[in-house]
Amino acid sequence: MKDVITKEVVLNHSIDRIWKAITLQEEISTWFIKADFKAENGYRYEFTASEENGCATITGEVKSASPYTLIYTWTVENTQVETTVTWNLKEVENGTRLTLEHSGISQYTGDTAVEMFNSYTSGWDKCMVALDDHIKNEVHAG
Amino acid sequence: MQDKVTKVLKAIADPTRREIFHAVVIAATALSISQISGQFQISRQGVTKHIKTLEGAGLLQIKDQGRERYCFANPQPLEEVQKWLQFYDKFWDDSLQRLENYLDKEKEA
Repeated sequence: MKDVITKEVVLNHSIDRIWKAITLQEEISTWFIKADFKAENGYRYEFTASEENGCATITGEVKSASPYTLIYTWTVENTQVETTVTWNLKEVENGTRLTLEHSGISQYTGDTAVEMFNSYTSGWDKCMVALDDHIKNEVHAG
Repeated sequence: MQDKVTKVLKAIADPTRREIFHAVVIAATALSISQISGQFQISRQGVTKHIKTLEGAGLLQIKDQGRERYCFANPQPLEEVQKWLQFYDKFWDDSLQRLENYLDKEKEA
């Protein structure tokens, strides 16, 4: 078991298109989570979801935002634990390879991890469903 | 101060300790330190040291019975780390899928 989660996908989209999707506030708010975000070093961002969904707030600081690497810290509401999320984009033959790393897991205490997990899963599920509906509605409306 | 999950991760980072823990888990019963040492090439002292680390992480419990010390496996701390990892593993899978859907739909439009 490692202290990092790594995800890698190849997306059939241009590197600049994906960079915008992961760095622009409006875009993040559409596909990911409602965001107060600027891709600038030192910017204190905040990710929130609607209150009625009871979702956690995530805060952090942008550590690096030069194309095509985006690094920010990730602290969940009511925890003191700072983890780090790194997005990296690279042009490949059939699109763009996106690598995501979430590290610092070992800094969570067992209790915090479980507590967070318990209090968090239902909230996130609701948020995700809400977001799905939102996207579907937009597609229908269009 | 080292917290619980750090201890768990450090404890299982070492291959010999993983093997010791595994040996106690698959035994499905308490194993004495002598029984455990018997399965490993390293010294009894070395084994004892590893067992102490595993005990510190909460993965083994040690009870004295007569002259022998017996080790019991406790996978609970591992489950806690596992839950956390599983949660974020799924969270990021879902998020990246969402990103891809979003970009695909937008391209079509």
